Amino acid sequence: MTESLTLDIVAGKMKEFGNAEQVRKNRIRITTPPDRVHEAIRMIQAIFGFDRLITISAVDNGRTLELVYHLTGPHRMVVSIAVELPRDQPAIPTTSDILPSAAIYERQIHDLFGIQFPGHPRLTKIILNEDWPQDEFPLRKDWEPHADTFYGGIRKERI
Amino acid sequence: MPILSTAVSGRRGSDMPEVVVSIGPHHPALKEPVNFKVVVDGEKIVRLELDLSYNHRGIEKAAEQRDFVRVLPLMERVCGICSHAHSTAFAKGIEEIMQLEIPPRAQYIRTIIAELERMHSHLLWLGVAAHLIGFNTLFMWTWRDREAVQDTVEEMSGNRVHYGMNEVGGVRRDLTPAQVTAALGRLPNLEERINKYVDMVNYEETMLIRFRGVGKLSKEEALRYGTVGPTARASGVDYDIRKDDPYLAYADAPWSVVTDTNGDVYGRTRVRIWEAQESLKIIRYCLENLPEGPIRVPAPKHAPKGEILSRYEAPRGELAHFIRTNGTDKVERVDIRTPTLANWTSVAMCLVNQNIADIPVIVAAIDPCLSCTSRITLLDKRTKRTDIISFDDLSRRMCSRDHGQE
Amino acid sequence: MAVPAAGLGQRLVNWARIKSPWITVFNSGACNACDIEIIACLMPRFDVERFGILVKGSPRHADILIVTGHVTLKQASRLRRVWEQIPEPKYVIAMGACGASGGVFHGLYHMMDCVDKVIPIDVYVAGCPPRPDEIINAIVTCLNLIKQDAAHGGKEWRQKKGVPVVDQIYDPAR
Repeated sequence: MTESLTLDIVAGKMKEFGNAEQVRKNRIRITTPPDRVHEAIRMIQAIFGFDRLITISAVDNGRTLELVYHLTGPHRMVVSIAVELPRDQPAIPTTSDILPSAAIYERQIHDLFGIQFPGHPRLTKIILNEDWPQDEFPLRKDWEPHADTFYGGIRKERI
Repeated sequence: MPILSTAVSGRRGSDMPEVVVSIGPHHPALKEPVNFKVVVDGEKIVRLELDLSYNHRGIEKAAEQRDFVRVLPLMERVCGICSHAHSTAFAKGIEEIMQLEIPPRAQYIRTIIAELERMHSHLLWLGVAAHLIGFNTLFMWTWRDREAVQDTVEEMSGNRVHYGMNEVGGVRRDLTPAQVTAALGRLPNLEERINKYVDMVNYEETMLIRFRGVGKLSKEEALRYGTVGPTARASGVDYDIRKDDPYLAYADAPWSVVTDTNGDVYGRTRVRIWEAQESLKIIRYCLENLPEGPIRVPAPKHAPKGEILSRYEAPRGELAHFIRTNGTDKVERVDIRTPTLANWTSVAMCLVNQNIADIPVIVAAIDPCLSCTSRITLLDKRTKRTDIISFDDLSRRMCSRDHGQE
Repeated sequence: MAVPAAGLGQRLVNWARIKSPWITVFNSGACNACDIEIIACLMPRFDVERFGILVKGSPRHADILIVTGHVTLKQASRLRRVWEQIPEPKYVIAMGACGASGGVFHGLYHMMDCVDKVIPIDVYVAGCPPRPDEIINAIVTCLNLIKQDAAHGGKEWRQKKGVPVVDQIYDPAR
């Protein structure tokens, strides 16, 4: 089975989840609604063997928050599953039950973007220090550091 | 020096109380600040909890505010050991979005620097691993031989670390024939020393006793936890981006992917030192067959709208830069997923049922680059009492099977 | 200002301190290039141990503290605590561009303003990262400072009058 044949087959099967297109020589990008992501990943794992998660990337494009799951497998193709979430109260079920390495990436995204992952075993602070305020998410585009909020470190009050 | 504290946490359904051993953040053996809390049942490890938020610098946010010339020095300084990896992964991602074809001479020069970086990183790792088991002679030897690699990059680029060779569109400095000859002249001695280390790794008793059987990761586990790099290749998973998704000059040079079936720290040591041998072959090929031509093409100031997943085989594993551009001269988002972040899950799994004295060796075996990873924290607040004991005391206690905790 | 001549015991201590300074290194959120160059100083090529310089892990055993990296918010109070544990007279070397002004990381959201807002610095070394030769030069500069301070009876002779000393920063974690 040549590579391009397999790519077309994968793209064809994934069209039922959303818009599937080939973006690079060995990479397909699929846009899926949030409630079908789990199903899409499970199917692509079972049928085509995409069992390795490369990373989960989060992007703030000004209007919505996007999550992109990148998966690969022994056939060396890459599938990117893209999801859009609303800015207020973004949430998507966790994928760490089918992809164990997703847990770390989801914690990092939760810290930096504020996306909730219901079902995650341990969604605590991972990358920001312990004094960071709970509701500020630095990597969102509309976030600016406030002058009088304490973000951690040493308070500078001269005696 | 003593950053080890044992804290008794109380009973958890077994006869032995659980003990939390905290290592870090300021530890002489670790060159980076990290805090491990290892939950121990008796003497075997139950769970690993890491706290690494010490190095988070907010680089991804800063990259959104710098244009393509200013962002490359920032990308380089994500990590001091794999600096060329980050800067090349970013530059080649932007070049692919802009649909720029960079000249072959630039590809070869980037490859030479990349493989020199891989060699210096693997020799560094071998020295640190030897230091952690107390074999300081090997530590001194490998770092002394590493200086030959540092001299070569210093001649080529001007600095021993943070080479600054990349720009969007090619490389910034050319290699003169004198530099090529000098580099080729250093290779035979380096090759002889690396061959000696290959022998040593296979036959030296000190290393075999401490490395064999420690931190075993099976092939299925390596696949399931998304392990990358020499850690995965030591478990038989032949996942190497240089062959799977070739970039730069790797498709031209004659080399092969190195795998091993041992899956423990010994296997990872062998994979790394064999990879250093393969790197030498690639460097020699590229230096001898350096194509003529320009070293850069003019790049536009603004990048078109696009998105790319740029993957690169850093010395520690697969590095993934997810870049999205929006038509301006800055990126909209760069998401850096470092190989050490991908490997932490497998470390946590490897450490279960191992001895505490093996923790530094097992953690070091994935070659953690903590400044790349930008921290992971899992804290278990179950402590009731804290004792501070020194690292030497702990090793002695572990060896004599007498813990004295209650 | 006349400084009383140091007794024999004090002169012996000063001599030992200059001839064999012990160093501790603290990484306050760096990219690790500086730390690798410090370890390269101990290796056979540059070999600072022949000068009597030892790198110790404990701050209580050190004369000189070398700070690498631009201080992150998480490391700020820890750096302060490590500095306080060093017995007087203590000297601090801030390495690299990060130590001087922040380097490429200046102004980012998870960083303190600068290292010298957390602890007072005596010597700055330029470079990103500084070469091992430059690090050895910085340690020698520090030793000259130690000699001069011993001759003047302390550090006050080189502190600016009227400028608040960093010791007055309030640390809520204490």
